[in-house]
Amino acid sequence: MERWRREAALGVVLALLAGAVAIAAPEFYDAANLRNWLVDTLPLLVASVGMTFLMLAGQIDISVGAQFAVCGVLMGLLARAGLPPVLFIPVTLAAGGAIGALNGLLVARLRVPAIIATLAGMAVLRGTLRWLSGGAWVADLPPSFPWFGLSQDAGQAVFMAAAALLFLLALLFLRWTSWGRAVLATGGDAEAARLAGIRPEGVVFGVFVAMGAFVAAAALLSFPRYPAVEIEAGIGFELKVIACVIVGGVSIQGGRGSLVGTLLGVALLSVIGTMLVFLRVDAAWERAIQGGIILAAVTLDSLLWARRSGARA
Amino acid sequence: MPERRVLPLLLLLEIALFALLADSFLSLQNGLEIGRATAELGLLALGMTLVMTAGGIDLSVGAVMGLTAVLLGDLHAHGVPLLLACAAALVFGALVGLCNGVLIALAQVPPLVVTLATMALARGVAEAWTGGYAVYSGFAPSFLQFGQGYWFGFLPPQLLVLAAAAAAGWLLLHRAPFGRRLVAIGFSVEGARYAGVPVRRCLLGVYAISGAAAALAGILYVSHLGQAKADAGTGYELLAVTIVALGGTPISGGRGTVPGTLLSLLTIAVLQNGLLLSGQPTELASILLGVLLVGAVLLEGRAKPRLAGARVLVPAAVLGGLAFLAWSRDGGAGSGQPLVALMPKNKSDPYFVSCRAGAEAAAGELGVELLWDGPNDTDAARQNEIVEGWITRGVDVIAVSVENAPAISTVLRKARERGIPVLTWDADAEPDARDFFINQATPEGIGHALADEAGRVLGGAGSFAIVTASLTAANQNAWIEHIRARLAERWSDLRIAVIRPSDGLRDRALTETRNILRAYPEVRLIMTIAAAAVPGSAEAVKQEGSEVKVIGLSVPSLCRSYVHAGIIDSIILWNTVDLGYLTVQAAVALHDGRLRAGSTALAAGRLGSIEVRGADVLLGAPFRFDASNIDQFDF
Amino acid sequence: MDAPLHGREARTLLCLRGISKSFGAVAALRDVSLDLRPGEVHALVGENGAGKSTLIKVITGAHAPDAGTLEIQGRRVESHSPRRARELGVAVIYQQPALFGELTVAENLLIGSDGPLLDWRARRRRAAELLARVEAGVDPGALVRELAPAQQQLVEIARALRSEAPILILDEPTAVLARTESERLLQILLRLRERGAGILYISHRLEEVERIADRVSVLRDGRLVWSAPMAELTRPALVAHMVGRELAEPQARGAGAAGPVLLEVAGLTSREAGLHDISLQVRAGEIVGLGGLVGAGRTELARCLVGLAPFQGGEVRVGGGVIKPRSPKDALACGIACVPEDRRRHGVLPALDVSENLTLPRLEAHTRRGLLDREGELAFARRWIERLRIKVPSPQTEVAALSGGNQQKVALARWLACEPRVLVLDEPTQGIDVGGRQEIHGLILEAAAKGCAVLLISSDLPELLELSDRIVVLRRGRVAGALPRAGASQEAVMSLALGLEGAA
Repeated sequence: MERWRREAALGVVLALLAGAVAIAAPEFYDAANLRNWLVDTLPLLVASVGMTFLMLAGQIDISVGAQFAVCGVLMGLLARAGLPPVLFIPVTLAAGGAIGALNGLLVARLRVPAIIATLAGMAVLRGTLRWLSGGAWVADLPPSFPWFGLSQDAGQAVFMAAAALLFLLALLFLRWTSWGRAVLATGGDAEAARLAGIRPEGVVFGVFVAMGAFVAAAALLSFPRYPAVEIEAGIGFELKVIACVIVGGVSIQGGRGSLVGTLLGVALLSVIGTMLVFLRVDAAWERAIQGGIILAAVTLDSLLWARRSGARA
Repeated sequence: MPERRVLPLLLLLEIALFALLADSFLSLQNGLEIGRATAELGLLALGMTLVMTAGGIDLSVGAVMGLTAVLLGDLHAHGVPLLLACAAALVFGALVGLCNGVLIALAQVPPLVVTLATMALARGVAEAWTGGYAVYSGFAPSFLQFGQGYWFGFLPPQLLVLAAAAAAGWLLLHRAPFGRRLVAIGFSVEGARYAGVPVRRCLLGVYAISGAAAALAGILYVSHLGQAKADAGTGYELLAVTIVALGGTPISGGRGTVPGTLLSLLTIAVLQNGLLLSGQPTELASILLGVLLVGAVLLEGRAKPRLAGARVLVPAAVLGGLAFLAWSRDGGAGSGQPLVALMPKNKSDPYFVSCRAGAEAAAGELGVELLWDGPNDTDAARQNEIVEGWITRGVDVIAVSVENAPAISTVLRKARERGIPVLTWDADAEPDARDFFINQATPEGIGHALADEAGRVLGGAGSFAIVTASLTAANQNAWIEHIRARLAERWSDLRIAVIRPSDGLRDRALTETRNILRAYPEVRLIMTIAAAAVPGSAEAVKQEGSEVKVIGLSVPSLCRSYVHAGIIDSIILWNTVDLGYLTVQAAVALHDGRLRAGSTALAAGRLGSIEVRGADVLLGAPFRFDASNIDQFDF
Repeated sequence: MDAPLHGREARTLLCLRGISKSFGAVAALRDVSLDLRPGEVHALVGENGAGKSTLIKVITGAHAPDAGTLEIQGRRVESHSPRRARELGVAVIYQQPALFGELTVAENLLIGSDGPLLDWRARRRRAAELLARVEAGVDPGALVRELAPAQQQLVEIARALRSEAPILILDEPTAVLARTESERLLQILLRLRERGAGILYISHRLEEVERIADRVSVLRDGRLVWSAPMAELTRPALVAHMVGRELAEPQARGAGAAGPVLLEVAGLTSREAGLHDISLQVRAGEIVGLGGLVGAGRTELARCLVGLAPFQGGEVRVGGGVIKPRSPKDALACGIACVPEDRRRHGVLPALDVSENLTLPRLEAHTRRGLLDREGELAFARRWIERLRIKVPSPQTEVAALSGGNQQKVALARWLACEPRVLVLDEPTQGIDVGGRQEIHGLILEAAAKGCAVLLISSDLPELLELSDRIVVLRRGRVAGALPRAGASQEAVMSLALGLEGAA
């Protein structure tokens, strides 16, 4: 079970936190509260799943927040132009995939390091969005936009089902398809993967496209909660997503990690803010506590790991 | 030397282009101001060059800058002599860096992971320390002179610091054993270890240097802005990485280059400054920077022979496009119309977006040219930089919505010394730094109006929660202070249950409001005081199906549907379109001499005659938008 | 396409004609033609840098040739890739196992072999079968990074055998294998040959080549200089073809002058390195060989001596003084230097130039007023390049551009220049051609003659016997025994390493 150590540790921390909240603020466990919390967390989860694939393949994407905003604005513009959800959903997903493909092209084909390519992508996307919009929100959206025209309850249910389905598909993909294993292999050792008959460039390109599509999906699960689209949405989203995936135990060098870990990482980092509110901790301390938890998660684990692997050698 | 050969060429092209586009670009003064604006970032980039040479990355530098600024301010406020406080800040920065180093070198956690975590932690500690709102100021003039003044009448002192740091960095990386060891580590940690390189010591050293560089940048930042606050250096880390990468230091480690970093710093600074002087929006700089970064890596990374021609073509094409753009936009500039430069606190804030509409209308009516530019987030340093650019460019009137009064006043005074009339609007600077203030409402007025609204909605008793922008947002903190004062004075039965940050983002406001509703059942009212956050709070109340009312400060267009749904009881604001309109009217009047010291009224186009009291141009009291009147306003 | 196709047999598995490949200005392969027939073992030998690995990569599709044609099983291959090669029935075992440390053994065995959807139960079964075939006692569920190098190589071999490909290419498969494991591999290859597979076998171990090869081809400087049935060949002739000249007989080594004890290891025990109660002594001017199977703890002992692995019990004395180095830097200060096993990863920094590599351990000696004295550094490098006859155009040439033997000389020169009292050499000639090997032997003897205490780790028994004054053999992290020069033979060393004496 040593391979699931990170997941187990996260589970324990989560359980401890949950216990503390159960004593100090039982009102947290109100069903409606949990549901709402869950719905608010879905975009983070879905984007983190995409980032998990990316980081398993040994890549990273800093432009996630900017992509998120671009997808949101596009979705809003399409809806305002009169497209029904059945049309603007696939178009948005395709657009996300296209942005991802651009990143993938730069990284896989033109060999620009992923950090550089996506750092540049962030600057270009965010800059263009601000320049063209002048900061004005995309408003006057038709009623088919909020919750895709469903009622709030139905919308929330659909969103949760969609995210659960995406997560499940991702899980199955990673575990039960040879493409999923190819992602792990590429991140573990790209050259060895190539010799094993995998095309690492293809895998890297693929995970970037997937990242874009997952971000688009995250946007689809986020913006329709409101009647208008905010231009500055997604600022800092990329670092939040990366933090969740890292806390979830996915190695930044690629090849190691699990979606379950990511799920727990997302759960921990998103629930902690909410729990701190329930525990009535001063807001000024929140960032410090979050930072401390992230730091503890990544260092304790590696300290333990270093000791045990040393013992084994 | 791996620095990019394309950079000098690009820099020359840029300089030639901007010299053509903007008359004031090619002056010693402007060159030195470019230096001043880049000193802090340059320091971070120098530290980052060493770190990236060793195959690492340090994302914590921006946050360390903020933390050391707070430390410096706090020590100073406790009466520690400034020089000692600075030394302590430097040591502290180095210590934080050392902690990074310990985790990276000893615990073997990847640097990106470690510094991402310490970034969150350092910024968090800075916020916790100051509660977000504490601002340390009142530094000695000699200290401020260092960041804002000149030596020998022309030399910004921090430029000397940057030059000294660059020289030290160059010696360290390219001439000292330490640098050679970093290169070896950057290529292969294991190989270096086997070769007898003290890998751990070197890594500890390099991260300590990066931390100290960040601390020095923090000190410069404080002396530059005259204040120490927890949010100093937000977002600088990625800019520093960008600069270093553009300069040719590979992100994977290996041969780093200090000259490349400096060249890249200069290229980016000239680009920003040149765009500013030729009246281009700041977003363009961000877009071009992204294109250049990828272009440079593409062209030089694994340049194939057939791409060699493109090496010249791409930058040439970028600049050519830029030139075309500039000319096409700048067509009317030579027409002799007065140029009014108007700066919001944050270009992306819906509040200021609506102000812009009014400003443009007035500019159109009066036949003046309007230059609308500002930071894309609340960034006091960037405001200074833009005003410097406007001074150099020689605009006819400057009107600024001030993010931070002590920080910007020096540069505004300088503008006045150069004979440029200065207005402040929306938020004031120090009184002697401007001619007039377009006073739509004082923080006191806003605070009182909000407190009174809360009292009215709650019937004089009960708890409410405040959702603010970020915990460090200067304006919101001023309003909160006045709200508290008003409660104590008039509404003794009202209580603020909690104050939560939203970062001015709707999404965060939704989550925060939801949490408040659940965790603080005693709260009967949400007061949200950031324009973009109000619809977030309202949406939360709507989704929760709660009876709690929302009030706050926002623009009507974002809130209309919620006001009609009865979720938002009222929002307090003045007519922001009118504010923009009046500001431009006043600016032109100031330029024409119609508005001068002693004026008691101003003819302001469609607004009619506006009262002028002392140095305040009065727009009128804050306005209350509610279901009865909100449809009459289309902004 | 300069060589026309001619004389092609219908049953040729692999047919290369006129293959040329250049990297920049360097011609790695020039007009190479080669055949592989079913049921034969075709050995490919040559010095390092002769182009063997490049040739393999051309066959497997990792490199595209600049000129020439490639036919696999009678089909001309136009657009080639590792995947295509596999589809055409080519299986490869690389020198460095191309495995995924974070995946399990079973996954490593089967990666890239199944359809889009995976059946995990069938995969585990199949993995167990494959492992059984190479008699590797490895748990299919273990992570590969937890395995010893030799076990990893066995996994690599099992994987190559997976597809029962008619064409099997092995690039120095036995470099990290101990003798028994090598022997097992050779047996497997002979069985495959009987079943009609064509095997292209690359090795520096000429005795292996002699044992199993039917035909031998020799590459030199990118050209195929000779190809003939094994029966027509003698070892001296083979070596002569490889180096292009006759080699002098190995130097006879006189008994080392017994100086004072410089290195004394007493009861060294390390949990991390898996060492128990290791004691040995090396005198000034003495070469002590360290024998044993791969994984017996030889490299681990070297790592302990230079501070790369901690030890809890026992002590290490250099010249009488107890030392406890915490890093190679520390160790050097105490007088111990180590040339590590993995040349490219540990021995040199390929991306740095020769002079930078040479001065790295003692940069302080090359500084003036705290800054590097570049001129002095280059002069220093030129001296050592001359002294060790390193073939390099300039001290400012990147080490990556050098051949393996010359890289190893750089690694050696780096430490010789520090004038250590104790020199630890871990597999100093692994993967190095015959010529380079002899030069390195000369350097080792020279160092000893100058009064250095040398601890020599080598899996190459003839080398160990030729150079050592005494041989200490390790087994499972303990000293299995010591042999004086007079009593040492390959058989004696092996029986100690395998623990046969106790059993017999």
